[in-house]
Amino acid sequence: MAPYLLRRVLAVIPVMAVVVTIVFLLIHLIPGDPVSVMLGPDATPAQIQGTRQALGLDRPLYEQLLAFYARVLRGDLGHSYFLDRPVTRALAERAEPTIVLMLSALLVAVVIGVPSGIVAAAHRGSPWDRGLMLVSLLGVCVPGFWLSLNFIYFFAVRLRWLPAAGYASVLTDPVGALTYMVLPAVSLGFNQSALIARISRSCMLEVLQQDYIRTARAKGLSPRVVTYVHGFRNALVPVVAVIGITTAILIGGAVVTEIVFNIPGLGRLIISAILRRDYPVVQGVVLVTAAAYVFINLVVDVLYAFIDPRIRYD
Amino acid sequence: MAGPFVFRRALVAFVVVALVTAASALAAETPRKGGILRIGNLGEPPALDPHWTTASITETLTNHIYEGLYSLDREKKPIPMLAEGHTVSRDGLTYTFKLRQGITFHNGKEMTSEDVVASLSRWGKQSIYGKALFAQVADFKAVDKYTVEMKLKEKSAIVLVSLAVPNNFGAIYPKEIAEKFPPQVKVTEYIGTGPYKLAEWKPDQYIRMVRFAEYKSRNEKPNGYGGGKTAYVDEIRWVPVPEVATRVAQVETGELDFADDLNLDAFDRLKRNPAVRPIVSKPYYWLVAVFNKKEGLMTNQKLRQAWQAALDIEPIMKNVAGGKTEFYRMDSSLAPVEITTWHTKIQGLPWNERNTEKAKRLLQEAGYKKEPVRFLATQEYKWMYDFALLTKQQLEDVGFNIDLQVVDWATLVKRRNNPKEYDAFTTGMGAFYDPTHHIYLTASWPGWTTDEDIARVQAELARETDHKKRVALWEKQTRQFYEKVPVIRYGDLFGLRAARHTVKDFDEGNERIRFFNVWLEK
Repeated sequence: MAPYLLRRVLAVIPVMAVVVTIVFLLIHLIPGDPVSVMLGPDATPAQIQGTRQALGLDRPLYEQLLAFYARVLRGDLGHSYFLDRPVTRALAERAEPTIVLMLSALLVAVVIGVPSGIVAAAHRGSPWDRGLMLVSLLGVCVPGFWLSLNFIYFFAVRLRWLPAAGYASVLTDPVGALTYMVLPAVSLGFNQSALIARISRSCMLEVLQQDYIRTARAKGLSPRVVTYVHGFRNALVPVVAVIGITTAILIGGAVVTEIVFNIPGLGRLIISAILRRDYPVVQGVVLVTAAAYVFINLVVDVLYAFIDPRIRYD
Repeated sequence: MAGPFVFRRALVAFVVVALVTAASALAAETPRKGGILRIGNLGEPPALDPHWTTASITETLTNHIYEGLYSLDREKKPIPMLAEGHTVSRDGLTYTFKLRQGITFHNGKEMTSEDVVASLSRWGKQSIYGKALFAQVADFKAVDKYTVEMKLKEKSAIVLVSLAVPNNFGAIYPKEIAEKFPPQVKVTEYIGTGPYKLAEWKPDQYIRMVRFAEYKSRNEKPNGYGGGKTAYVDEIRWVPVPEVATRVAQVETGELDFADDLNLDAFDRLKRNPAVRPIVSKPYYWLVAVFNKKEGLMTNQKLRQAWQAALDIEPIMKNVAGGKTEFYRMDSSLAPVEITTWHTKIQGLPWNERNTEKAKRLLQEAGYKKEPVRFLATQEYKWMYDFALLTKQQLEDVGFNIDLQVVDWATLVKRRNNPKEYDAFTTGMGAFYDPTHHIYLTASWPGWTTDEDIARVQAELARETDHKKRVALWEKQTRQFYEKVPVIRYGDLFGLRAARHTVKDFDEGNERIRFFNVWLEK
């Protein structure tokens, strides 16, 4: 296992180098200019040129790229044009909301998705199966922003049960954090639960048709034990893979939820950075998100070996 | 006997009830200190340095922290703020400003002439208004601790108004800060003399301003952007809420006390909510298509006139305003009605002509052969996209070939600086407080109005100090505008904001929101 892990960790380096270069080129090659945005609509070209020089944006692209490489190797992701702080600090400030949202949404997605898939598979063709799969189909189809806005309208504006939007830190105000996080976690988790439910169902169906399940039933084991103990464990590998993918999606993909619920996380940071052409922030967020993807994939691969002892990496 | 006695008791009861009601009503309307005012706005400011950027969000926020020598009253005329007053020499070339004494910065230091000279010198190198003014300044210096002197190269009409404009304004910083940050580099130490001081800035979460206890208000009553200022609320918390539907929801639930920049379609919903007051903000922008007069098709004046002749503006405005007549105004004046000094009522201008025959004739005279006209628009501001789309339809009906290029705002503001990349672009014009501040009439702003006649009248307007003559010049300039068509003036679009009823004494007459003198009934 250890040599495998080492190989995987080393493989991250070229992946990150490619990601860094592509992101740098993409963000610099698309039209738009941070200085024009910062100086406002009435700024004159002369003002804009002066500030471009002050920020070093008038230098050739290759020079800027080399300077960027040099900084990244030193662990410095640059300085945000808009936020007046190092990108690493901006990322650190946004990490907590995104991680809390990701974990809560993941919890909701797994709690809804996995049992729904198992129950649907165990009662294949029944009204339970059809009902749960219809709900999961809705989860896939309903746009996240529509669901979020409706949640806000009903639970915050009409019923006044929960706040419409905002964020409180779990470290300083855990109760406040919980009340703020319910609506975004449920709306995002519901969307993501759909895929988990459908994959769980199809994996369970495949496992429940295996010979050893028939043998277990023939031995007289209760349907519950057969389904949950003998079936579920063996259906878990693809389910864990989907949960891994969902986790990775949630890290960079909770953009809409963060914007609608006004959560100051990484998703919101990257969207505003792209719109304002805050190059160092865009590069920093993409770099961190890519690293998280690679790391989560690694964790998922390692988990396979624990779930299914037949899988070996030696 | 019982009759008069009962009557007298009833009368006494009535008087007592009336007095109690009047007293409680009076108490309810008496401003009180305290509370946190939470304001939802569109996003983060690019800087809290008003010398550095023209961004309207920077203007709004920084006017609570900083002050200039002058400000604008309700009629948008300059009135003193940090200045006590001024005198002008007989030849009109020397302005001497007396400063108010005992004004302290948020760091406890007293404001003196050194700070004023350092700040305005920096402002004069970066701000569009500062640069325009300092182009006319021969010398600017401190005379004594509370007096500064500005010597001009020639007579100027724009000294006071330039010092008073609220956008990209001449905020007074401590000398140390003004000298520490070069003009092209934004200030990141925020020390002013305003009624609120910056306490905390957590990007994407909030900007917290707290009352400046040592603030020394002017003795006058509040007047527009100036006059007396009282910091009633303990704290102003500016919360960036990028999603407009969320801003509406949060002002309805009471999570926000005030929400700015709302979609017009929220108007009816807000009207139905008994806890909230929708506010129509006037003026917001007049819609404008700016032509590239440096290169390409639209350097041809006849083509620009054809565009102007073809337009039927009312349906465009109605559509942009979501069909609500409360949110647009048909007006040809280059200054909005609210800027009373410069609003014009000239009859017979070729505005909103709806004359397709004239448009077709002008196209022919221009020698136009259906070449595509590159028209830049953005969907980031829905109104810009809507009016561009409707314009395209109307222009194509008379024979134009419009290549509508929809890009994001960052791309649009970059491309509009390059004359090779477009023929026209959409934007909005806010309020300008002096004829010389109308940027689209200058050669330095995208679109590049280099017409000699327009420039000559602009120069005369900058020099002429007699008000009546200036008004006449401005009317002449307006006629020139409709003849030369440097840009197309559509109608006035209004904005929507909302306040909870607990927000008291908010001045709806100001184009941009201000929260000094506002108090909370809670």
